[in-house]
Amino acid sequence: MREGRNWGGSALVVPALFLVAAFLLAPLALILRYSFDKYDPVKLMLGIFSPGNYVQAVADPFYQNVLSTTAYIAALSTVIVMLLAFPVAYYISRVESQRLRGWLIILTMLPLLLGNAVRSAAWMIVMGTKGVANAVMLGVGLIEEPIKILYTPTAVVIALVSVLLPFAIITLQSVMDAIPTSLEEAGQSLGHSPLRTVFEVVLPLAMPGVVAAAAISFALAMNAYATPVLIGGPTMKMMGPAVYDQIAKANNWPFGSTLACILMVVTLVLTVLSTRFLSRKYF
Amino acid sequence: MAGVTLSNIRKTYGTLAAVDDVSIEILDGELLALLGPSGCGKTTTLRMIAGFVAPTAGTVRFGGRDVTRVPVHKRNVGMVFQGYALFPHLTVAKNVEFGLKVRGWDKAKIAARVTEMLHWVQMEALAERSPRALSGGQQQRVALARAMAHEPEVLLLDEPFSALDAKLRGQMRTEIRELQRQAGITSVFVTHDQEEAMAIADRIGVMNHGRLEQLGSAEDLYKRPVSRFVAGFIGKCNFIEGHVTGPGRFETANGQALQFSGEHSIGPAALCFRPEHGVLTPLATPGNSLPVTVKAVTYLGPVTEYDLVSEAGNRLLVSASSSGEGAPKEGDKLSVAWSIGDAFVVD
Repeated sequence: MREGRNWGGSALVVPALFLVAAFLLAPLALILRYSFDKYDPVKLMLGIFSPGNYVQAVADPFYQNVLSTTAYIAALSTVIVMLLAFPVAYYISRVESQRLRGWLIILTMLPLLLGNAVRSAAWMIVMGTKGVANAVMLGVGLIEEPIKILYTPTAVVIALVSVLLPFAIITLQSVMDAIPTSLEEAGQSLGHSPLRTVFEVVLPLAMPGVVAAAAISFALAMNAYATPVLIGGPTMKMMGPAVYDQIAKANNWPFGSTLACILMVVTLVLTVLSTRFLSRKYF
Repeated sequence: MAGVTLSNIRKTYGTLAAVDDVSIEILDGELLALLGPSGCGKTTTLRMIAGFVAPTAGTVRFGGRDVTRVPVHKRNVGMVFQGYALFPHLTVAKNVEFGLKVRGWDKAKIAARVTEMLHWVQMEALAERSPRALSGGQQQRVALARAMAHEPEVLLLDEPFSALDAKLRGQMRTEIRELQRQAGITSVFVTHDQEEAMAIADRIGVMNHGRLEQLGSAEDLYKRPVSRFVAGFIGKCNFIEGHVTGPGRFETANGQALQFSGEHSIGPAALCFRPEHGVLTPLATPGNSLPVTVKAVTYLGPVTEYDLVSEAGNRLLVSASSSGEGAPKEGDKLSVAWSIGDAFVVD
């Protein structure tokens, strides 16, 4: 290896590295520091170093509940997203017409072009007690009285799934594009039905994509803010809004930071564990 | 084991006929090559035999069984793909095993068959390797073992040698031919390489523009091509334009009378002879020679090729054993002669 060339290549990452260091790592370090501080109504922070916030957060049944709800909703959303995204991604990556393929990808990305707030508002119109969904179900006689959809965990899962689907589909589709169709043909020529071939050949080869898509979905769902607030309503507590409430509403920066750090660590640990589980099973 | 019968099969995409009314009877145990330039319909024909493509019309039969509407996975074919298509996530042994479990074979039978197949292609030592760690020739052997493990009725090979380098190609060609003979399996392989087809096939079907131009042994195709395309595609050939004036009589475009063997109806045609059948001579003989000028001399070792131009502007090629003394040189004005028995006429 010639060192000069290596340095030339490495230099390309410097601007991005600087940006990440200045605007992401530094605030993270600050949050980590604040999380060990103590709140004071007058001075805001006392400048001490104690694990008190962590003890309080972990011992408090309320926050235990918020955290487990968050993890449950995120995991459920991720599983549903993966089940829905896999067939769609497979279809897009195997469609023969390049034109149709292009349109399908644009259609997939469309929800991302709407802002979080606009999309959530649209869901509120659909899922409200006098909303579109109830009107339709009443109309066709599926239900007798309007049912409550908005401000329930179900509503949050539905809305999260709709946000996460595009990420999962695009991630999976790009991995599936790299799996040659001749492998599927080989599977069929060896006596496997097309569906069985998908499970025996496509799924194991798409596993890196499945892991990546699931990790992205799970991390985004764990940290969701707008969806739980607008669709989940005031009684639905998830970690994202809880962090915000502490920092912006209660002005308790140390405790908000503690919750943020807990959220980060739990997300990271669960993602790494599930990724390793899936990887060990398939590689 | 069974033969394969294609009856008037046709495949159209929109208005384009990829395969146009092809009928072939592939005999039990025979190795048939489908040969032709790219886009001639040979691969589509193979894929219709495999079941990946449904014919627009016509029928495909394995033995007496009509399989035209039977999906691939129920046809009991073995296929070696271009580039082999080995499963990268499975070991060599698991690749060979892939088609067995799905057929409900019991464990002991599967294990015995995998060992037998790996032994057959001499790959036992590499059974636990990943296909990615194998050379091209090794991958091809695994692909063949995998295709043959479930005892298919028909073996299909799609350009099986195209991914190998020239030297290995010759070796694998002989190897596959031997393995195919041992197994006695009806086989069809697709290639664009006429030398490859001639080297290993029992019979060759030459395809062009979706049609089967001619079906026969390598010798049939070389000695008695039925069309200009076959004459030009199988080996090199000289074409002299003109028309047939009577039985065995031909007249070139500028009025010179020539003779040929075989039958041809009166009308426009081309008289042909192979480069190795031409002789350069200072003596003109009527009926089977043309005056030419030597344009270029290419020394190829054992043979030397002479590029010639006739008075009528026809470009001709003659190859002759390389001889040191008195060999023709560029610019020489000579005659090219051939024996009438070597001259034939095509449309």
